[in-house]
This record gives sequence, C-alpha cells and structure tokens, in this order.
Amino acid sequence: MTAPFVRIEGLAKTYLMADRRLEVLRGLDLEIAEGELVALTGPSGAGKSTFLHLLGTLDVPTRGRVRFDGEDVFERTEEELAAFRNGTVGFVFQSHHLLPEFTALENAMMPGLIRRIPRSDARRRASEMLERVGLGDRLEHRPGELSGGEQQRVALARALSLSPRLLLADEPTGNLDPQTADGIHALLVDLNRSLGITAVVVTHNERLAQALPRRLRLVAGRLA
Amino acid sequence: MSERQPQPSTAPPASVHPERPSTSPPVPGGYAQDERSESKGAPPPPSAAPPGPGAGHPAPPVFSPAAFVLVVIGVLGAIGVAPLAAAFFGDRLALGPGVAAALAAVAAAGFAGALGATAALVSRRLAFYEVAAATLLWAALVALVAAAPGLRSVRALAPLEAQGTLVVVLGLLGGGILAATAVFAGSTLAYLVTGTGRLDASISYELFVARSHLRLSPRTVAALFGIVVTGLVPGLLVALGWSLVRDARERRAYRRGELFRRGRMPATLLMTLISIGGVAIGVWALTVVLSVMSGFEADLKRKILGHNAHGMVLTYGQDGFDDWRGARQKALGVSGVAGATPFLYNEVMLSAGQNLTGAILKGIDLDTVGTVTDLPRNVEDGQLGWLRTPEKVPRPAHDPDALSTPAPQPRTDRTLPGIVVGRELARSLRVFVGDQVNVVSPFGDLGPAGPQPKSRPFRVAAIFYSGMYEYDSKFAYMDLGEAQRFFGTGDTITGLELRVGDVDMARAVMGRVVFALGGWPYRAKDWGELNRSLFSALQMEKVVMAVILGFIVLVASFIIVATLIMLVLEKTREIAVLKSMGAGVPSVMKIFVAEGVVIGAVGTAFGLILGYGSCLLIDRVGIPLDPEVYYISNLPVLIEPAQFGLAALGALLLSYLATIYPATKAARLRPVDGLRAD
Repeated sequence: MTAPFVRIEGLAKTYLMADRRLEVLRGLDLEIAEGELVALTGPSGAGKSTFLHLLGTLDVPTRGRVRFDGEDVFERTEEELAAFRNGTVGFVFQSHHLLPEFTALENAMMPGLIRRIPRSDARRRASEMLERVGLGDRLEHRPGELSGGEQQRVALARALSLSPRLLLADEPTGNLDPQTADGIHALLVDLNRSLGITAVVVTHNERLAQALPRRLRLVAGRLA
Repeated sequence: MSERQPQPSTAPPASVHPERPSTSPPVPGGYAQDERSESKGAPPPPSAAPPGPGAGHPAPPVFSPAAFVLVVIGVLGAIGVAPLAAAFFGDRLALGPGVAAALAAVAAAGFAGALGATAALVSRRLAFYEVAAATLLWAALVALVAAAPGLRSVRALAPLEAQGTLVVVLGLLGGGILAATAVFAGSTLAYLVTGTGRLDASISYELFVARSHLRLSPRTVAALFGIVVTGLVPGLLVALGWSLVRDARERRAYRRGELFRRGRMPATLLMTLISIGGVAIGVWALTVVLSVMSGFEADLKRKILGHNAHGMVLTYGQDGFDDWRGARQKALGVSGVAGATPFLYNEVMLSAGQNLTGAILKGIDLDTVGTVTDLPRNVEDGQLGWLRTPEKVPRPAHDPDALSTPAPQPRTDRTLPGIVVGRELARSLRVFVGDQVNVVSPFGDLGPAGPQPKSRPFRVAAIFYSGMYEYDSKFAYMDLGEAQRFFGTGDTITGLELRVGDVDMARAVMGRVVFALGGWPYRAKDWGELNRSLFSALQMEKVVMAVILGFIVLVASFIIVATLIMLVLEKTREIAVLKSMGAGVPSVMKIFVAEGVVIGAVGTAFGLILGYGSCLLIDRVGIPLDPEVYYISNLPVLIEPAQFGLAALGALLLSYLATIYPATKAARLRPVDGLRAD
C-alpha cells in the first residue's frame, strides 16, 4: 500500500502563446520507485525539459498531479515548494548554471547556505561531495577556471550536497565531448548505486541512455 | 535532516521495471503503455484525480480585508498617536520639545510599523495594496476635512489651522503618507523576516550573493568618493584622462601584437556607483543646507535670548508690581531659574539735535541685569556702570556734528543722568558716548494747558551692539531708579525678567514661577511665546527646505530602483538557479533589498562625511556675508547630530523602500523563464 516515491498522474502542460496553444505535455502517467535511475530520451521539443521542470516543481502543470510519497506537491504553498526543492530535489542543467563569481566550493555550498545550515557544516558537506566527484583539489577555483567536465561535476556536487532524494539532470552531458560525457554518466550511475539516489536523466545520447536501467521515450508530449 | 534509509545498491533492478503492481486504478504506469486510449484533449482517463484543478499551489489572495483593517488602524492610529505622544512626553514628562517630538515620532512609527507587520503576517505577503487603499482612504478624509470647515475646529488641528487651509491639507496629507510609509516599511520587514512561514532574520548567504552582484571593491568606492568630493568635474576629468591613457596603452599593445585587454567597467557597476553618488549628493545637500539654516536659527535665537530674558513675570491689568523685591527672591528660589532682574518698560521719543526717533526705554537694575541678559557684554563703547555714576561720563572733546547742529547743546558740562542706546539708535540720532539725548515721555506732567509731555536731557553713557537690528535701533536703557523718577511710578516695576537654566524648558519653569508667586495677579511669558511667529516661520522654512532637498534623495532612490531592475534583468538566470536550489521568495527579495540598502548606506555615509566636512569648512574658514544686509559677518552653521541622524535615517529608509519593487520583481520571476533564457 505504500505509495511509490514519485507518481505522476495525467500531467499536462499547455503554453498559451500570443495566438495559439502550445501543448507541450499531453497527459503523462508514470511511477518512479525510490532508487531508480531513469533515462528520458526523445526528440527536441518533445517536452523533456518541461517534464523535468514540472517534476522538480520549477513550473506548475496545467493539469494533472505530481505525487511524492502519495502527496500532491502542487497543493503546497510556494514557500513549502522552495523548501521541498531545497531538501528533496537536486538539479543539474545542461549548461551547468554555476554562479560565476563564486568558487567551486562556494557554489556547492549554496544549497546548504540557502537552508541556513551552519557555514562550517555546509562547507564540510560541499567539500565531501566535491571530493566524491573527483574535484577535491579544485575547491577554490571559479567556474571560469574549470573545464566543461569539471564544471558539470561541480554542478553535480552542488545538486547532491544536501543529499536529495531525487536528482534531475537535464542533458548533463549535452555540451561535453563524448569522453567527458562518459565520465559524467559513469559518475551518475555510481552515485545512484552508492547513495541510492533516485535520478531522472534527460539525454540525447542514445548510447548512454541504453546503459541506464530504465528508459523512457517522450514523443510529442506523450510517453512512447 | 534527510536521513534516508540506505538503499541497497541493487535496488533498481535493470530488468524488472515496467509493470509494478499498483494499488491505484489502472494507471498506465511505466512507459510505452500510454497509447491512444483517450481522444486528444480529454482529461487523463481513469485516474481519480479530478480534472482541472491540481494545477497551481494555493497562492495567498491579492487583497486581504483583515490586513486592510490592520493597515487602516495603523495609518489612522499613527496619525493620532503622534500628537498624543508629543503631548505626553512634552507636557507630562516635561521633556524638551526636540526630545519629545523625536520620541513621539518613534512611538507613532513603531505603532504603524507594528500594525504593518501584523498585516503582513495575516496576509502572508506584502501589504502593498492594503497600504495604497488606506492612503487613498486617508486622502479622501483629508478632502472631506478641507471641504467641510466645521470639521476643522478640532483642537488638534488648531496650530495648523492658524496657517491656512493649504497648510492643513498638506500637513494632513504629509502625515498620512508618513504613517503609510511606516506601515509599509513594517509590513515589508515582517514579510522579509517571516515570509518563509517561520522566523528567519538571517541574511548571511543573501549578503554573500549580493556582494558578488555589487562588486564594490574598496578601491572602486575610494575612487567614487574622490570623484564626489572634488565636486564631480575634476574627478570625472581625471577618470576620463586615466581611461584615455589606458585606451592608448591597449592600442599600442594591440599594434605590437601583445595580448592586453584593459578591464572595462560593467554597466551595472557603473549604475551602482551612480546611485551611490546620487544618494551621497542628496544627503550632502540636505545636511549642509539644514546645518546652515540651523546656524541662522541658532544665531537668531542667541541674539534674541542674549538681549531678552528667557521669560518675564508680569502682572495683570494696571496694577503696579509693588513687592518686586520679595517676588524676585521667591522666583530665584524656583528650581530652574538662574537669574532675575526687575525692569520698567516704557515707550518714549528720543531726540538729539534735530534727530528724533521713537524708542523703548527700559529701566534696569545694574546689579542684577547681567545675570539675565547679555547687555553688559554687548556694550561696545562707554561703560554700563556710568549709568550710576554719570559724572564719570567723558564729555565730548569736540562736536563732530557741529555743522548739522547749529544750536550747540546748552550747558554741556552739567552732570546729567546716563542712558544707554543701541548702535543703530545712536547712529540715527547721531550721538556718541558723552553726547546729550532728550527723552520725551508722552505721559507727562499736568501743565497749565492740560497734560504736556515730559522731557529731560540724558547723557549717553554707553552704546551697545546686540547684532539684531531691531534691538540696536529701538532699545534704550537707564538705571531703574532714574527711570522710576522720570516716569513717576514710585517703587513699582513692570515686571521681572528671568533667565532659566535650560532654554528649552523655559515654558515649564515660568509656570512654576507663577505657581510659587501664588498665581494671580502674576502671569508669565516665555521667549517662545514672545517670538512665536518668528520661530514658527523659521521652523516652517526649515521643514519646507528639508522636503525640497529630500526630493534629491528621492530622485537618488529612483536611481537605485533603476539600478536594481538592471541587476535583476542581468541576474535572471542566477535567480532561477537559486530558486531551483530552494531559495524562497523572501530569500531572493533579501538579496536585492540588501544590495539597495548597501548602495543607500554607502551613499549616505559619503553624504554624511561630505556634509560634516563642508560644515566644518564653513565653520572654520567661513564664508563672509555682507554685514549690512545680513547683520551677520559669516555664514553661520550649526552641526546638529540629530539633524545628521535624521537625514541619514531618511535616506536609508528611502533606499530601503526603493528596493522593494525590484526585489519583488526578482523574487516573482518564474525559475523556468530564467533557465530557458539561455
């Protein structure tokens, strides 16, 4: 009877452009169990990113629900959602979105600082996580001084610094060369195994997707 | 937090994922199952989820009636609390008017702020619309008061009413706007601190982020200070020159094929510096002008109080003040009284040769006058003591006005009683120390043809200079006994002049003196009452100046708004990332509020330093004025810490309020928009 970790019911998102409706998602139903590692593929414009944003409560669906442990997250207030994103979800974006003025360590500390855990605590967690992604010697470098793969690792460390239950990665290897991409993917798989984090990874790379345990394909707003 | 149960690393078996037994209705779980079982656009088929809703988390309502009521109570209450508190602190606790006004303002602002904070707590957002509505309501009430003169007879409005309808309306509107501002400030502060649903006053990481946005290095700030302090133009010229030098260096390096890029200032940093400069100039102007006006006021006050007593005890009606020696002793026994001297007051005509002028003649007690007024110190020629020993007054060696006074004064050598006149009076009579002056009193003896004016010659014993034209041109003094003899009043006086320890407490002390004297027939007047119109005009002038110069600060705060909006636009993506990491609305707001307040604080600090420096400069070096016109040789300046504090507080409050709109804009950005923006 225990509810699945994530359960998506009839999720739909429609954008109203100037003169037309753009149906990005047209009713998605899906369950994801705790600890799963899911690859989400699909052509451009199929709604992968929108789906991920909805899953991470960065956007609000037009219809449908997203339940975490049986509870509809969009019933919550904006501030509760912020706390939810802070503690339960970790994001990795295609273009890493690190804050350029801060060092790798400070970037990875940011979620902890937002949660107002003591600075030393945030620093410890962030440096542990950076070490885990293999950047233990790059703590004081700014994003501009890091390579693309390293930047993405920092982003991963940042997403994981508060040990979230759900990791959402939006084409984390999209901007990287195949070799680096393989490294990041291996890291993802490893983190999923060792930390037990549920992860949804959007990727264009079919080869990498094939390596993941569960694959979903999104075509024209539907799971195919 | 987040002590997740350790998952066996084999938890997601790679093979058995799709169909997982589910207790819920046949939701097509997994993937690849969601076939065309429903037609396009139909609600998702079987799940129990009701269609339609579910989208959108509960947002607080835009307008909360409860918050509106609180805000209205806050605005109206603050307007009511201010005068009541002023009366309480001023009359009941007998504090000085400045302290009482400050405490009353604090009380009213605190009351308004507290209700604003409550309104924010109740509505769970900024009470902006409620405050706007309450302000409009107040404006409507003021319009009603302006339209219906009957309503204006309220006692609280009496002091304003005396100055005309325009002042009443503007005063009430201004009070309402101040109260609404206090309410709004309270509401925003409360929202920033409790908007997350719990108390969170920390701004540690917000400052961390804000610092990276502002990019204010000490060097940049110092350079900006240099530009502002040199009066903009020289500083800007130097900066321009430096920029040209670096341009040339870059070009040369480019020609040589070297890699050299000069650093360029980001647009937002430039805007930040301009905002800081704007606030600094506003605060600078405000403090300097107010200090100079305070200087004028203090100078005037000093001269008035130096020449006049702080208060006087008079009697009602025509009764003479007989027992003045006893009354003086009693008055001196009252706490707060520093000195008392009797005086006899009459208006007379003075003539010397063919020059004739009206004057106020005061009989004074030479022994005690120095304890009350500055007259002995203001004597610039002759000696006050010669009033008592007129025989010592030097006779004029020659007659400088011989040509214009064809008839020489008769019997110049006779010993005449002395008189002291002001410098301007002496000039218009063309007399010097030792010259003879005729005093003509309209209340004279009864002659054969009815009453006739009494006239007696006096000799100028001294000439005083108080610095106030009115006094120097109108006042003459003689010994009390001599005056009593001349006017035939016997041993009575007009009243007692008193000096009090604390000038601002004169009113209270005078009340105590009358009480000590047993009330009727005695009455008292203090200097504020005697010069009310003058000082209230000065006060009004100062308030108007403060408001006008406050507009400079207001404009500067608009620059802060523009700067912050630019920053928000530049940092859209960063805001989205922060929100994706769980930064809430108040948290993002705090970042931009902190930025604006830092801009305002740095600007205010600059302004205060510049203002203080300018005032010191004016004070030490001095800006000469034409004494014939201004009756004062240098531009006066009085550095009042309270005034500086008030200017700083106002500038900080304006900068804080300026941040609210951009901060709200930033906090309401939808993260997806920012993430997509790249």
